[in-house]
Amino acid sequence: MSKYRVVRMTLSGRLALILFSAALLGIVAMPWWASQGLIRDVVTLACYIAVAQMWNMLAGYGGIVSVGQQAFVGVSAYAMFVLAQTFGMNPFVAVFVGLIAPAILAVPIYGLLHRLEGAYFAIGTWVVAEALRLVATNMPMLNGGAGMSLRVMTQFSAHERAVASSLLAAALLLVTLGGSYLLLRSRYGIALTAMRDNPVAAASQGVDVGRLRLLIFIATAVGTGFAGAVYFMAQLRITPPSAFDANWANLAIFIVMVGGIGSIEGVLIGAVIYFFADRWFGEYGASYLIVLGLLTLACALYFRGGLWGFWSRWVEAPWFPTRRRLIRQEGENA
Amino acid sequence: MHWIDGIVQGVLLGGLYAQYALGMALMFGVMKIVNVTHGDLVILLALIGISLANVAGLGPWAVLATLVPIGAAIGWLLQRALLNRVVGDDPLPSLIATFGLSIALQNAMLVIWSADTRSLPGGGIQQASISLGPIFIGVLPLIVLICATLLTGGLDAVMRRTRFGRSLRAASADVEAAAMVGVNPRNVYAAATAIAVGILGFAATFQAMRSTVAPADGPFQLIFAFEAVIIGGLGSIWGAFTGAMILGISQAIGFRISPGFGILAGHLVFLAVLAIRPQGIFKRKS
Repeated sequence: MSKYRVVRMTLSGRLALILFSAALLGIVAMPWWASQGLIRDVVTLACYIAVAQMWNMLAGYGGIVSVGQQAFVGVSAYAMFVLAQTFGMNPFVAVFVGLIAPAILAVPIYGLLHRLEGAYFAIGTWVVAEALRLVATNMPMLNGGAGMSLRVMTQFSAHERAVASSLLAAALLLVTLGGSYLLLRSRYGIALTAMRDNPVAAASQGVDVGRLRLLIFIATAVGTGFAGAVYFMAQLRITPPSAFDANWANLAIFIVMVGGIGSIEGVLIGAVIYFFADRWFGEYGASYLIVLGLLTLACALYFRGGLWGFWSRWVEAPWFPTRRRLIRQEGENA
Repeated sequence: MHWIDGIVQGVLLGGLYAQYALGMALMFGVMKIVNVTHGDLVILLALIGISLANVAGLGPWAVLATLVPIGAAIGWLLQRALLNRVVGDDPLPSLIATFGLSIALQNAMLVIWSADTRSLPGGGIQQASISLGPIFIGVLPLIVLICATLLTGGLDAVMRRTRFGRSLRAASADVEAAAMVGVNPRNVYAAATAIAVGILGFAATFQAMRSTVAPADGPFQLIFAFEAVIIGGLGSIWGAFTGAMILGISQAIGFRISPGFGILAGHLVFLAVLAIRPQGIFKRKS
């Protein structure tokens, strides 16, 4: 009989799980208690959290740095617009069907770019995003540079749209945050963490590093694309520069670096900070972005763990515990 | 004749891209890092040059002579203050640090110079051309190409033949072993970045003379430099030059097919090279 047992859940983790579930239910119920403006804000915030968490999974666990995730935002948003507007599919169904596009696209992109070393991989993803923006600009089916409008949404009442937006926002958070949490707690999570810390050592322990990287690249492409489709459904309009906007990469990197890379908690903290910073200081335009850029720089230089890493140095109360701890059994009732 | 003209114009355009790409190839070869502000520094230097021309009344060649040492100083400072802290096996810190700096730099330029596009008056040289039969060759692009060739040859000779070049190659091959035999990596790195950004002084002057610059243009220059380096083969100086030529020709031919297709043609050739010959045109498989 074993004298040790593995403990993963903590009190803080249980409390956070209850709060997280309550928040998701609150989001689903938004049409019955929240204003139009609040719903729009929550949808936007959910998209920031999702895109940032996907970048966090890539860079913080997969060891893959990308500055071109806007490629997947744009591709799935456009896929949704085409399916709904051009082919008359129900737009809420089109959000999910359109996710096939980033999944399919991620395979050749990774296949081509993984041949590049670390930093060059990142710039390579940017080239791909730029190339896709130019393709969209040149494609008559997407109405070129003029972009598309989601006029089919007029067939739904304001309340129906509010219900759909709230459900989509909740689903987005459930898939990206809940999915990451489950993945990190599974045996794949151990493999991912091992790979992040040392890919060579992880491979020597039987982790198929190449395959795992490809899978995480595809999964995060789909998650990022989901956020893109939800975001542009709320916008009702899409153009190539907005769909493939490098600002998606900026905000993901800022959120993850300031909040704390390699933790789900950090993404939540960073996303809330970014959301309010954008709201309060966005009007200062360039000066605001200078501060944002310098903060990202400062985090990379002096503050690698971000706010969550800083906080965790003193308080060990993870909201999303993924660590396994070995506890020695007391007595003989083991 | 249409297509031959396209190739000629592409080679001339490649001369400019080679000046972007040399520094990037040098920095990646020596330190294995990518400086995301590479393109923004071209724009920063160009805007400084344009302001110098307006305020101090400098001609284009005087601007060039000023921008190269300014660029070298900026590069040295950038490496000393920032990049030396993030050089290492993990690509994340250097990439994120320079990515943040790039956003800050673009917006700082926007505050100082506004979003207007500007260019550097060249005193008529922009319009001058010589005709070779039916093909016209601009005098300015020809000067750019000659400059790029001399810079590439010069950098290659420095790398091969001088004591400094030897320490660069040593630091690039094995930084710890190099440090053991008396090479100070921090000084070598600072010198490499100073050279890389100094060369951007040429690129900035010529870019501002032949076309326009605006604060948000940097990322495009970064991408062109990157594509040239990858097409040519990582870390090879003449490879970067050749890659720049191929990129220039692809874009020039793309523009002749359709004006909206030029830049995209460059991206597609880049992706095709990755698919067919990922080690680049020049580098042998290791």
